Amino acid sequence: MKALASPTGLRRAGIGLLGLVLAAYPVVRLDDVYGQSVLILVFLLAIMAGGWNIMAGFTGYVSLGQSAFLGIGAYTVALLSLRLHLSPFLLAPLGGVAAAVVAAVLGATVMRTREHAFVIITIALLFLFQALALNLEGLTGGSNGLTLPLPAWDRDLQNLPFYYAMLVLGALSVLLSWWIRRTRFGMGLIAIREDEDKAAAIGVRTPAYKVLSFVASAVLIGVAGGVYAYFLSFIDPRGMFDILVSVQLVLAALIGGRGTIWGPVLGAFVVVPASELTNNLASAEGLHLFAFGLVLGAVVLFLPHGLIPTVQRWWSQRRQRPVPWEQRRAVTVAERAAPAPPEPGPVLLQVDGVTKRFGGVTAVEGCSFAVRQGSRTGLIGPNGSGKTTTFNLVTGMLRGDGGSIRFDGRRIDRLPPWQRAHLGLGRTFQLTRLFPRMTVLENVVAPLRGFSWPNLAADAVGGREAERARELLDFVGMLPLASQPAGQLSFGQQKLVELAQVLMLEPRLVLLDEPAGGVNPGMLEHLAELIRRLSRQGLTFVVVEHNMPMVLDLCDPILVLARGRVIAEGSPSAIQQDRKVLDAYLGEGWGKAERPVEV
Amino acid sequence: MTHAVQTILLGLLTGGVYALLAAGLTLVFGVMNIINVAQGALLVLSALLTFELWRRFGLDPIAAAALTTPFMFAVGWAIYRLFVARIRDAPVSMTVLLMFALAITIEGAMGLTWKNVFRSVTPSYFSQSFHLGPFFLPKAQVFGCLAALVVLGGLYLLLTRTWAGRAIRAASENPQGSQLVGVNFRSVAALTFAVGVATTGAGGSILSVLYTIFPASHYLWISRLLGIVVLGGMGSLPGAVVGALILGVAETLTATYISTRWATVMFYLVILAVLLVRPQGLMGSRLRRDVAA
Repeated sequence: MKALASPTGLRRAGIGLLGLVLAAYPVVRLDDVYGQSVLILVFLLAIMAGGWNIMAGFTGYVSLGQSAFLGIGAYTVALLSLRLHLSPFLLAPLGGVAAAVVAAVLGATVMRTREHAFVIITIALLFLFQALALNLEGLTGGSNGLTLPLPAWDRDLQNLPFYYAMLVLGALSVLLSWWIRRTRFGMGLIAIREDEDKAAAIGVRTPAYKVLSFVASAVLIGVAGGVYAYFLSFIDPRGMFDILVSVQLVLAALIGGRGTIWGPVLGAFVVVPASELTNNLASAEGLHLFAFGLVLGAVVLFLPHGLIPTVQRWWSQRRQRPVPWEQRRAVTVAERAAPAPPEPGPVLLQVDGVTKRFGGVTAVEGCSFAVRQGSRTGLIGPNGSGKTTTFNLVTGMLRGDGGSIRFDGRRIDRLPPWQRAHLGLGRTFQLTRLFPRMTVLENVVAPLRGFSWPNLAADAVGGREAERARELLDFVGMLPLASQPAGQLSFGQQKLVELAQVLMLEPRLVLLDEPAGGVNPGMLEHLAELIRRLSRQGLTFVVVEHNMPMVLDLCDPILVLARGRVIAEGSPSAIQQDRKVLDAYLGEGWGKAERPVEV
Repeated sequence: MTHAVQTILLGLLTGGVYALLAAGLTLVFGVMNIINVAQGALLVLSALLTFELWRRFGLDPIAAAALTTPFMFAVGWAIYRLFVARIRDAPVSMTVLLMFALAITIEGAMGLTWKNVFRSVTPSYFSQSFHLGPFFLPKAQVFGCLAALVVLGGLYLLLTRTWAGRAIRAASENPQGSQLVGVNFRSVAALTFAVGVATTGAGGSILSVLYTIFPASHYLWISRLLGIVVLGGMGSLPGAVVGALILGVAETLTATYISTRWATVMFYLVILAVLLVRPQGLMGSRLRRDVAA
């Protein structure tokens, strides 16, 4: 998502011009105190909307309590300055620190909830802070509020220090969003927004990312809260922990465009003047609220994506060019010999007595099997036999109710999914789960082989990772589509991209969940050949598949799952003759005819 | 001891009224996955309408429920058709924002019509009480609780004894499955939303006697209702009733033995604690999440 559709040079010039105009405004119009105040409010709203946008636009967690950080910053700075007799300007950074600490503490607990629970919690938190500020009178002065010292500077300076402080904070807020968006940290956040479980499966340490994004979204609001308190010279709980402020900042971000860099700024420039206008036109009680509600409703209904994305889409549709797409020749099928007899490599994955219940249904019960290094192990079984659940247990998307799972001798069944991914466990999904709004290349770059702080700040798409991702895309034959949004690919193409994505983890074991499902025969051949080539390089596969010819041809040994446990294991030919397997597929007493299974 | 029992009795009476208010919220959530944060504003609207009926025509506030309930039903239907139906498939956050927009629009409209003044309805029995041995039960609370239970009973009958009610319950338990057996999900959704909002009709009329009403007090009400619904388990009707009784008593106890101002804080703490520790609440069900994978 680029900030603007225009070329970079033009964009830079525009940003520079905007900065210049805003920096010069109070000097040129020295007497326009009202105009300056309105702009201070615009900057404040832009800072708050920008912070919210990091959480809601990038990470996908919509909060309605974001304005609490304004109050936390304001109260921290006001209380400190009253006690220490220092200028609130000096203390404002501490407001940011306080907001960041609160965000980190809350984030660590609150971020376990999703969707509606998260929205409700953020509303409750805002009201809780308001109630605490009201009730802890000894500390906060309760509903009487706190009065801050008046500015010490020359009265001729008027509001200029406030103006420039907010302008600088606003610029920092845009810079922060821009920086986050182009780092691997930002890419992880977008991955979480698009599909959180999938993000964890490709090695994104989701809790850490979410807490960090919460902190990033709070810190500048806290600093701005300190400056704002000084500007107002009086704060009280209702004004500082106001849900309407939260809604106003959400409105600004929505109008401009959620998830964009400049959307919150644009939105603030729309919302604050409009709000001032209705305030000035009519002072009737309630009219302001009434109008505000109508506008918010209209934006949600008719402009949910916001101005910038809407214009961008219109622009790109106008200049749409056909995508150069060449059908890649399927990789020539070289040695079509039967898979080499499984060399008895050491056991890589050991599943022991694993059980998983969903309420009264036991999906997997006492399931045990071993996967040897270098093998292509097939996992078959009738529908509902627990194949995908087993995958989910092995990769950590589900926690089992019993049993143990060892990977390369290490017990992994209590590890979170991203840690298992870091150990070299990769998987694809039955219905592919690429991040639809990321490009193909971004999808393949996204996986992480570990968690490190410096890596968070690295460029999202760049360096060796991008190089490697292109190689892998070329390997699966999807390089020509590298810059397409993944959501626009055909199902088969998505499967290939997902394979490349998993390979990016440099996995030791890859679990493929129905690689052949919904894929045309030509591409199927291609896919099977890719798996063979990877296998020859020493990669281990476990394949869940319903396409029997493919799985019998590709895999050895084959495990048969029925009613949540492994009922047979052996070579393809042995499995085809196994009585228990035939019973499981066809029901007991399926007939006298002794035929191999063909499903 | 008598004092404690007295407090609990009053808490139960309050809880009975809360049960009705929360029922509408949880019903809408159960069927549509929508958190109707405008429920509080609609409640206050109904209370102010009741105030107007009482002031102009001397209509008994609790009897006014017979008028406000069908009126709010119609309002709910219209809200669904005009707004909610347009963003049925939008993410939860967008529907919350839409309902929030509705709440402040209503708050603004109420401010324009009734001004930001505290109102209360004071019929003749307003300050009278029944006496049961050492205990006293304010008549307004008793009548209010009884009326709430009658409406709640009617809602229960509607849900269990009519085809429309069965369709609502089916859609609530399994939206896709209900469509397969011929439930028209769109009209059930509209009906559910309208029924959910209709509970604010009777609820608001009852509240007008029990509390002072103020346009901005809808925040307080939605906080209370969310606390109840979250505690009971979002989407569960029996849960809402149990949650309402528990929190009604807890609120009265906190207000009596600690202070009124900490009584509201309790609702926020309940929301936080329940969603973090047991997100499915007391009686909600926890859905299997990985099936869609």
